[in-house]
Amino acid sequence: MGLFRRFLRALGLGPEKVGVLIVGLDNSGKSTLLNRLRPKKARTADVVPTIGFQVESFLKHGIQFTAFDMSGAGRYRSLWEAYFKDAQAVIFVIDATDLVRMCVAKDELELMLRHPDLRKVPFLFYANKSDVPKCWTALQCAQALQLDENKDKPWNILASNALTGEGVEEGIDWLAEMIKSKPTN
Amino acid sequence: MALVNPRDKKDEDRDDETEYSPFFGIEKGAVLQEARVFNDPQLDTRRCQQVITKLLYLLNQGESFTKTEATEVFFATTKLFQSKDIALRRMVYLMIKEITPSADEVIIVTSSLMKDMNSKTDLYRANAIRVLCRIIDGGLLGQIERYLKQAVVDKNPIVASAALVSGIHLLKNNPEIVKRWSNEVQEAVNSKAPLVQFHALALLHQIRQNDRLAVSKLVTSLTRGNVRSPLAQCLLIRYTVQVIHEASGISSSGGERPFYEFLEGCLRHKAEMVIFEAARAITQLEGVTSRELTPAITVLQLFLSSSKPVLRFAAVRTLNKVAMTHPLAVTNCNIDMESLISDQNRSIATLAITTLLKTGNESSVDRLMKQITNFMSDIADEFKITVVEAIRSLCLKFPQKYRTLMNFLSNILREEGGFEYKKAIVDSILILIREIPDAKESGLSHLCEFIEDCEFTYLSTQILHLLGNEGPKTADPSKYIRYIYNRVILENATVRASAVSALAKFGAMVDFLQPRIMVLLRRCLHDNDDEVRDRATLYLQVLGDTKDIAPDGAAAFLSETLNVPLANLEASLKAYEPSEKPFNIAAVSKEAKPLTIAEKKKEKKAQREAAATGAHANGVAPAVSTSSYENLLNAIPEFASIGKLFKSSKPVQLTEEETEYAVNVVKHTYPAHVVFQFNATNTIQEQLLENVEVVMDTSLADEFEEVASIPLKSLPYGSPGQTFVLLAKPEGAVALGKFGNVLKFKVKEVDPASGEPDEEGYEDEYALEDVEVTIGDYIQRTSVSNFRNSWEALDPGLEKVDEYGLGPRESLQEAVKAVINTLGMQPVEGTDQVPSNARSHTALLAGTFIGNVPVLARLSFGIDAQKQVAMKLAVRSEDESVSELIQDIIASS
Ligand SMILES: Nc1nc2c(ncn2[C@@H]2O[C@H](COP(=O)(O)OP(=O)(O)OP(=O)(O)O)[C@@H](O)[C@H]2O)c(=O)[nH]1
Ligand SMILES: [Mg+2]
Repeated sequence: MGLFRRFLRALGLGPEKVGVLIVGLDNSGKSTLLNRLRPKKARTADVVPTIGFQVESFLKHGIQFTAFDMSGAGRYRSLWEAYFKDAQAVIFVIDATDLVRMCVAKDELELMLRHPDLRKVPFLFYANKSDVPKCWTALQCAQALQLDENKDKPWNILASNALTGEGVEEGIDWLAEMIKSKPTN
Repeated sequence: MALVNPRDKKDEDRDDETEYSPFFGIEKGAVLQEARVFNDPQLDTRRCQQVITKLLYLLNQGESFTKTEATEVFFATTKLFQSKDIALRRMVYLMIKEITPSADEVIIVTSSLMKDMNSKTDLYRANAIRVLCRIIDGGLLGQIERYLKQAVVDKNPIVASAALVSGIHLLKNNPEIVKRWSNEVQEAVNSKAPLVQFHALALLHQIRQNDRLAVSKLVTSLTRGNVRSPLAQCLLIRYTVQVIHEASGISSSGGERPFYEFLEGCLRHKAEMVIFEAARAITQLEGVTSRELTPAITVLQLFLSSSKPVLRFAAVRTLNKVAMTHPLAVTNCNIDMESLISDQNRSIATLAITTLLKTGNESSVDRLMKQITNFMSDIADEFKITVVEAIRSLCLKFPQKYRTLMNFLSNILREEGGFEYKKAIVDSILILIREIPDAKESGLSHLCEFIEDCEFTYLSTQILHLLGNEGPKTADPSKYIRYIYNRVILENATVRASAVSALAKFGAMVDFLQPRIMVLLRRCLHDNDDEVRDRATLYLQVLGDTKDIAPDGAAAFLSETLNVPLANLEASLKAYEPSEKPFNIAAVSKEAKPLTIAEKKKEKKAQREAAATGAHANGVAPAVSTSSYENLLNAIPEFASIGKLFKSSKPVQLTEEETEYAVNVVKHTYPAHVVFQFNATNTIQEQLLENVEVVMDTSLADEFEEVASIPLKSLPYGSPGQTFVLLAKPEGAVALGKFGNVLKFKVKEVDPASGEPDEEGYEDEYALEDVEVTIGDYIQRTSVSNFRNSWEALDPGLEKVDEYGLGPRESLQEAVKAVINTLGMQPVEGTDQVPSNARSHTALLAGTFIGNVPVLARLSFGIDAQKQVAMKLAVRSEDESVSELIQDIIASS
């Protein structure tokens, strides 16, 4: 079977596979967001804090996304790096209500942006929990994280509600377009 | 470099398929490169599986991965969780278990595993549980405990087993959590799935293992019910044995042993595994009786002729052990065992041989030896050593067979073999020469032949030393000279030097050889090795090139050992500056010097190790042979004129175990004296003892009189020392008595930091247990080569016979052993072993009474249904009064 699939893929007929890294501080809603992207019946009712990481795949726009949902807890953040190497896109989830830790998010983000393995990959930001009153808007978040200083890589930021899925799909649409427009290696 | 692809190879020539491991020659570097496929977004699951297999192969071959390599492989492997391929996932689990990176890295797979643990695929669940429990820490364990507990009673046996096995592992660090699963585990013990039952029983036992009563209850209930799984049944047998063992201390009723019936029932189980386990358990029961043993031996005997090698091996190995304690119980199997000598499997054959050697009687020795000779050439050295050791003990048991056995030893000595093997043979010959006087001459000539063609310097020098000591005392000493001198011509410097020393001893002890020896020694003066020339020069001087030394002085000089600790001599020699003043050996300290702190630590460790092996209990020096005692005693001037040492007793403890000062005594019997050698060990690190002596109270033993007491100057912590008391008694008399003893000394406190003792000390004393001089101290154990001949050579008219009731005894064997111990004589012809179901027995003993009077004893025992033992003792010796004394020993004890 492997051979046949590979044959199809060589002709551009099989689904393209893309590895996506989902990062962000703990409790920002990464796992909830990913849960949203699963087919309805595969969704879990309760999302618990991730220990280490979790891997999920979903099909969107003819692309097979393999998402590595990393734990955002402090002690695991140093382990993100082990998964940078073959990531073709990064989804960075910001808790738009957690203003206190916005600077922590900024620090972590800067480390990633500087990393050579991630120089060329597109970054998608979600300003999550947008349903909560008094949360920051996507623009406020972008400013706080100084996103406009990224000149050499594609990025985008969207407000989202991971519980209802609002804004989530649009982000993935954008990501799919970025991947398709880029010449495959 | 062209790497052979093992798969291609396979297709090309199928014939060779079995010869090559598919992984033959794979390299770590190349495999790590290959492992990059784990990162490929388009995963090739088959390839990934192969790479993991190779990595696991490397790890199992002992290949080590650097920290970075391990981390990289680990993280790459975790990416494979994206694949849904079941076979690949299984390899991923294995890989994570094997590679285990650092604790904070491994945690990264926790969520993935927890997801798998709740998956619908049983295989995922089972394996995820095993891996998770391996990597998880106590904190997270609480989170998944609920799942594990459920998994224990899962309807899928693989899942249940995984949870149970994990429980066994977790019990080490998180016992309180696992103990909460008791009910579930109990339920799993009743599972229909054999594996689950097995694992559940193991876990349940471990949970309860510290609670004797609970274990006993568990065993009681399960031995009644029916355990399906043979493996579980085997475990149950082991646990039962534990319970029996622990109970044996409590109830000592003469009735049926608890649970024996269960064990015996297991001998009829349909699984061979269970039958064997039960048979082995029975043979290992404490104080097993012959009646209990019989059914077990019967099934083992059946296994001996099984077509399955593993059963034959298991049976013969067990019987081999039984033969050590109950040789007669095994004799029934001798015929089956003999046919195993030609078994394809050499381990089985070796065990069969050594068992036969242990159980065989005198008449079968010759036949056995013939069979062994054919077999020796095709077993490995380590097996050969086992055989040689068995033959050595056989020879000591049947001394009159020494010719056959000595011949055998000399034959195998001439064949090919490694050092350890050759050493075992030479050691055996040395022991036989020492123990069996008749064997001496033939043994020596075998050794002479051996050194003509011996490639091991160590063995050559050892043999040359022996030849030097023993050769001059033989009937025809001159025949050894040629062999020894050949060494001077043919061998390396070390051997040449030993040969020179050996020659000199002949020159010193055999007058008529002296001129010839002098000629040979003079030739050695031209040797190109310093040591050889030095020795030759020295010996020529000693033997009379100069006339300063009395002729018998030469012999004494050559055969005596230096009476100073070698370490002290070495230190003094190093300190000696060449000058007009000659080195004075008398000035070298004879006392073992206190250890430095670093050495003490080492010493302590050594002691602990020795204590662990039981060789050196209580820090007291191990039993020493009479000849080394002789050297020690001869070094003490006060004992110079008391004559020749007759017997040294075994050490007798005079203190309880684990006390501040450990003291034992060795009694040395001389014609008109007894020397008491007190071996003392100071076990208090903060104390240095000085002027240590034992004060003996002779008031209750009027035949004895104190002549001298030799105190010990200092007794530092941890290194044993000796103090002596010399008592005189009437010459030749068998004086008996009991003495009270007090250890007296001066204590100086030692500063633990510097190791320096205080200036000031204080006197102290310490009461020891009494020591007694018994008739046993006047009898040596000696062996005779033919008891019957020796017995008949003694005048029957001087025989003393008496009968004794020994009262109720545990067994005949126990009674025989006790009497032999009391008499302190040597059992001959293996008669100290009682056939397991015998009602009567005859034991033959030999000894030499002080004054060099040989004495022989025949003991006939009988036991009745009430276990009352009666004994008839017949004693013969040239001296009637000696025979009477032997009777007195029994009469008075
Ligand atoms: N109101 C609101 N709550 C959200 C939203 N997204 C997530 N949450 C809640 O935030 C909490 C954390 O969500 P998770 O998805 O576990 O967060 P995470 O980023 O995966 O956290 P870690 O795995 O610990 O790194 C949960 O209680 C979610 O229900 C959102 O859009 N709106
Ligand atoms: Mg999460």
